[in-house]
Amino acid sequence: MARVVIMGGGVSGHTAATFAKKWLGNDHEVIVVTPNSNWNWIPSNIWVGVGQMTKEEVVFPLAPVYEKAGIDFKQAKAVSIHPDGNADSDTPYITIESTKEGSAGETEEVTYDYLINATGPKLNFDATPGLGNGEGQMGSHTVSVCTADHAVHANEELHKIFDKAKAGERQKILVGTGHGMCTCQGAAFEYIFNIEHEATAAGVRDMIDIKWISNESFMGDFGMGGLHMKVGGYVVSSKLFAESLFSERNVPWLIGAHVSKVEEGKAHYELLDGTTGVEEFDFAMLIPPFAGVGIKAYAKDGSDMTDKIFAPNAFMKVDADYTAKPYEEWKAADWPRTYQNPDYKNMFACGIAFAPPHLISKPMKSVNGTPINPTPPRTGMPSGIIGKAVAHSVCDMIKDPSAKPHEASMAEMGAACVASAGKGLTTGTAAAMTVYPVVPDFETYPGTGRDTDYTFGEIGLAGHWIKHILHHLFIYKAKLKPGWTLIPE
Amino acid sequence: MSHEKNFQKEQFTLTMIPGGFAKKMRTCVLFQAFRFAVINIKMLVVVSKSH
Repeated sequence: MARVVIMGGGVSGHTAATFAKKWLGNDHEVIVVTPNSNWNWIPSNIWVGVGQMTKEEVVFPLAPVYEKAGIDFKQAKAVSIHPDGNADSDTPYITIESTKEGSAGETEEVTYDYLINATGPKLNFDATPGLGNGEGQMGSHTVSVCTADHAVHANEELHKIFDKAKAGERQKILVGTGHGMCTCQGAAFEYIFNIEHEATAAGVRDMIDIKWISNESFMGDFGMGGLHMKVGGYVVSSKLFAESLFSERNVPWLIGAHVSKVEEGKAHYELLDGTTGVEEFDFAMLIPPFAGVGIKAYAKDGSDMTDKIFAPNAFMKVDADYTAKPYEEWKAADWPRTYQNPDYKNMFACGIAFAPPHLISKPMKSVNGTPINPTPPRTGMPSGIIGKAVAHSVCDMIKDPSAKPHEASMAEMGAACVASAGKGLTTGTAAAMTVYPVVPDFETYPGTGRDTDYTFGEIGLAGHWIKHILHHLFIYKAKLKPGWTLIPE
Repeated sequence: MSHEKNFQKEQFTLTMIPGGFAKKMRTCVLFQAFRFAVINIKMLVVVSKSH
């Protein structure tokens, strides 16, 4: 009997675990180690953050789902990996620390035959002074929508702002990225439109100034170097698309901005041209930068070999080409295909946990040398697809150790992003975008790097309906309800 | 032309702004039902190409 251990129970880890168990059956063991007791459909946190949904609508307890599926669930955080075992045994293992009420802090060793790292990101609030509390958590000056609890808090704070605006007190809202190296602009993008929509619905829009602040060097970069889509017979840049959306809603923007410090009501920033400034706010939702969760790796003799397994940003090294090279020489082939660790063939990383070879957007630095560019997005659809491919590889290798791993390159994979505001069937609005592939491939698509038949964006109710359907569909799938495997990632 | 915006703010002069017809189509249920079908088909093709 083989044992597959999956670290992380988010989109990628949950997908990997559930498919691994389905394909392996009861002949083999699947264990999920995740510090959270709940699964969270993160894209819908945006609606929680404006009060259109409750936390209970976007989360569900993992334990009963895993019990039904026959997956062993350990509510704990992974602390270290020992891929060669220790002095007493050659069996690889990880150490975990319980986060469960009643046993919190207790440690345990969990041996594995195959290890899948799907830990997701560490929300690195402390990378920006004042954005974090200095202890790894979100600070008190801003809010976040990265977790369901953060989103609940964001909604409470937002409605205080609405109440003040209703009372005649002019308010300023700032939304965007809280550091020069952030990713996930899409979440902030969707949140600012939801705020604008709700402020209009509440009749207080004219009393609230809303501003976008982002590390993108141009509007519509989204960490993917922007994209081009077919509109009215033209191939149009996402820059025009994004600027139009913001302009229509009277939302000015500040781009190429590295937020260097946050204080009560103030965000200090540096721009690409080297100038600095301060943006004042009454309410700010600033996305933190992401880093790996900080798992350590140890050799058989107990020596630290974290830098062998993990990149400096603490994400796990996989089969990508990590050779440093200039932007002009970046290729689609640099991106990983199997997500297998180069040194340990029984170890994989999927979702946000794998180390990308480089940015997708063009690297930028301020004249002072501060890097200000979005890091590559690896959330949502790519996360699920990679999780499934990795599970497939592990299952095949268990049955036949010489089996070739499955491939799922982000340079051959699409992604959909729907920024939807409102909840009514005919009163909502959405900007729906699909990009194929996520990583531009200028050898296959010499013009824009992408297939313009399947890279598109449009605004309207249709996208809004799709967003709602996706919410219910993915939660249904994650709960492993009948027919769940028929729903694509 | 109630849908037209004031372009005095410098930042807003370089982009496109939807006209009345484009705005109407965004909430026209019949047209959006058609677009819903088109977007879904395209997304399914992207999903199938991605696996």
